[in-house]
Amino acid sequence: MEGEEDYGVSEEEEYFYADDGDSLDGLADNDDSALQWAPPKVSATKVITKESLLAAQREDLRRVMELLSLKEHHARTLLIHYRWDVEKLLAVLVEKGKSCLFTEAGVTVVENLDDDMPLTSSSTITCDICIEDASGDNATRMECGHCFCNDCWTEHFIIKINEGQSRRIQCMAHRCSAICDEAIVRNLVSRRHPDLAEKFDRFLLESYIEDNKMVKWCPSTPHCGNAIRVEEDEFCEVECSCGLQFCFSCLSEAHSPCSCLMWERWSKKCHDESETVNWITVHTKPCPKCHKPVEKNGGCNLVSCICGQSFCWVCGGATGRDHTWSRITGHSCGRYKEDREKQTERAKRDLYRYMHYHNRFKAHTDSFKLESKLKESILDKVSIAEERELRLKDFSWVTNGLNRLFRSRRVLSYSYPFAFYMFGEEFFKDEMTDEEREIKKNLFEDQQQQLESNVEKLSMFLEEPFQQFNQDKVMEIRMHVINVSVIIDKLCQKMYECIESDLLGSLHLGTHHIAPYKSKGIERASELSSCRNTKLGSTDEYLPCGGTLECDRPSGSGSSDDSGCSYRKRAKKEGGGFFDLNLPAEIVDRN
Amino acid sequence: MIDFARVQKELQECSRDVEASGIKVAPKSDNLGRLTGTIPGPVGTPYEGGTFQIDITLPDGYPFEPPKMQFATKVWHPNISSQSGAICLDILKDQWSPALTLKTALLSVQALLSTPEPGDPQDAVVAQQYLRDYQTFVGTARYWTETFAKTSSLGVEEKVQKLVEMGFPEALARSALESVGGDENLALEKLCSG
Ligand SMILES: [Zn+2]
Ligand SMILES: [Zn+2]
Ligand SMILES: [Zn+2]
Ligand SMILES: [Zn+2]
Ligand SMILES: [Zn+2]
Ligand SMILES: [Zn+2]
Ligand SMILES: [Zn+2]
Repeated sequence: MEGEEDYGVSEEEEYFYADDGDSLDGLADNDDSALQWAPPKVSATKVITKESLLAAQREDLRRVMELLSLKEHHARTLLIHYRWDVEKLLAVLVEKGKSCLFTEAGVTVVENLDDDMPLTSSSTITCDICIEDASGDNATRMECGHCFCNDCWTEHFIIKINEGQSRRIQCMAHRCSAICDEAIVRNLVSRRHPDLAEKFDRFLLESYIEDNKMVKWCPSTPHCGNAIRVEEDEFCEVECSCGLQFCFSCLSEAHSPCSCLMWERWSKKCHDESETVNWITVHTKPCPKCHKPVEKNGGCNLVSCICGQSFCWVCGGATGRDHTWSRITGHSCGRYKEDREKQTERAKRDLYRYMHYHNRFKAHTDSFKLESKLKESILDKVSIAEERELRLKDFSWVTNGLNRLFRSRRVLSYSYPFAFYMFGEEFFKDEMTDEEREIKKNLFEDQQQQLESNVEKLSMFLEEPFQQFNQDKVMEIRMHVINVSVIIDKLCQKMYECIESDLLGSLHLGTHHIAPYKSKGIERASELSSCRNTKLGSTDEYLPCGGTLECDRPSGSGSSDDSGCSYRKRAKKEGGGFFDLNLPAEIVDRN
Repeated sequence: MIDFARVQKELQECSRDVEASGIKVAPKSDNLGRLTGTIPGPVGTPYEGGTFQIDITLPDGYPFEPPKMQFATKVWHPNISSQSGAICLDILKDQWSPALTLKTALLSVQALLSTPEPGDPQDAVVAQQYLRDYQTFVGTARYWTETFAKTSSLGVEEKVQKLVEMGFPEALARSALESVGGDENLALEKLCSG
């Protein structure tokens, strides 16, 4: 087959398909997931809209309320204190006991309300704040037992809300760390300042996003109003329902396999063109007379500016014009020339290194800027081909191939800044010897080159005028596209594995996290339904020991197995299609 | 707005037991927003015998926001700036509670004089000295009390003058006074013995 020569498919890659169409179909059937580009319908990553924020939050609240038999505002206080990390909260509960958990967060649970001093309209109290008497219905006793007049409470709440402390308004009594009941705050404040009461509610609501390390606002501008919640791994890339793809960790564009830190440096480097500035300072010097930058030409150290001024390149001082190779008339400077030259050499080397990586990075980013155009023209070809009376009717391989191309171009493109830092001196100078660095660099570049050549191959196949080809030729192109796509996917996977285990994995510095490779592209977050039934479910479902949790034990009392209080992995899915929204998948599994 | 009714009541309450506490609060002018507090130096400390004046400014949100307090009398203490008189005390910041009063706040300031916390210093120089050379710290604090917080007794210059008249060199007299915290009798003893 002459085609093979043209397309440059090498012998070793042949095994991915056989020459007859049947076995190719067999491959397509067996390895369907690798070839089809349909992303999973329900992603673990969720979009939280204004409408669903309440439901999202209620899910965690409900869980804590059930586990600890608490009222909602106590659960919220606990969750805000533990930054909406239910697992952490439960870990503290197991480790330190209930009372410690509560005290740390400022939750006061009064078992039996103090009956000695019931507040009735007929009783009067003296408010310790304003030092005035107040009737019982004009005063409020907080759960910690402290009682003040409503005016003073209101004043206190207003000041705290305005200070931005809505999430933790403490009792007014000196050294009382109890957090005020949000219902009382809302009620009293709304009488005087309805707007402020609303603000208070919004602060409480948005705490779920702002104090939660697994939830972040989508960085779109203008803002789409959404937040994204991830599961388990915060080092990942996501797509908001508004279409924006971003790195969840640093909120900039998706940049894997570059780490956030590398990406931050890289974008800065590209933006401020510091290298160019560097080049100018190394290769030019300001004229001592007119201050324009003058470039050195030729080997001697006498340079002259267009203004007519001559000066010494080494020290920048003005000189006369007469000179020999070693001496300039009317000038003697003792500056050591070699020093300067070494510095120049170094800057030049750094610049060339940067340019090497930057050019490749740029070539790929430039091509994915043209993606939509390419897609359009190729889809045009597909519709022409579909009109024709060919035995082959299914052209999904074209779109799948295109998606693979786009996906891998990104990987390839961001692999250059990764390599720039991985094998440069900025981050890992002392982490490996020059020898090790060289070996690793070769290993990685080898993979990069393989990927690059296959990506170009795929691009070439897709650009073939297949709409004009006969049946056999189309089948052949199809085979190539599918085959190269599979190879590319494997190469990408291999590259990430290499980064994970051979490159970053061997280092001591744990500051570089790479979002994992997603063969199907960045996962689109699925909508979190806002009309969930938030009715309390059966507690037994969560608690194997049945009923309420009585884990109020001092810390260090050993395994909870023997006490019958062990947590078990809770049911992950609550029935078909009803995905579990908020729950980090498991509670401490002690089995 | 400042709750002036409460401030009035606080002032009355404070003047009622001034004998017991020794703590005084008085408005600087007709405006109740600016006051002067007075606390006696605690017994058994280098501040003993001194009378310390504290400038008080009430914020609009008083008593829901903490009063601003600053020493007007110069004082040598790890948690009080020797330059500005600024006080580092939690109840004047985030640990303020509206249930506290100017009097209780001043009592806390007085307590701070007896129990410095060099681990959370306002004045790093003083705190260093407190930790490394406690004796010198005590001497300096006493000298400052003597110099700045005692209005009735002789001023330092007069004491130096007295010692010079007794025949001691001025520099020596000055350093002796400083090393014993300004007590002229102790200084004389020191000068005679050394
Ligand atoms: Zn009151
Ligand atoms: Zn309280
Ligand atoms: Zn968005
Ligand atoms: Zn990032
Ligand atoms: Zn010039
Ligand atoms: Zn020349
Ligand atoms: Zn020169």
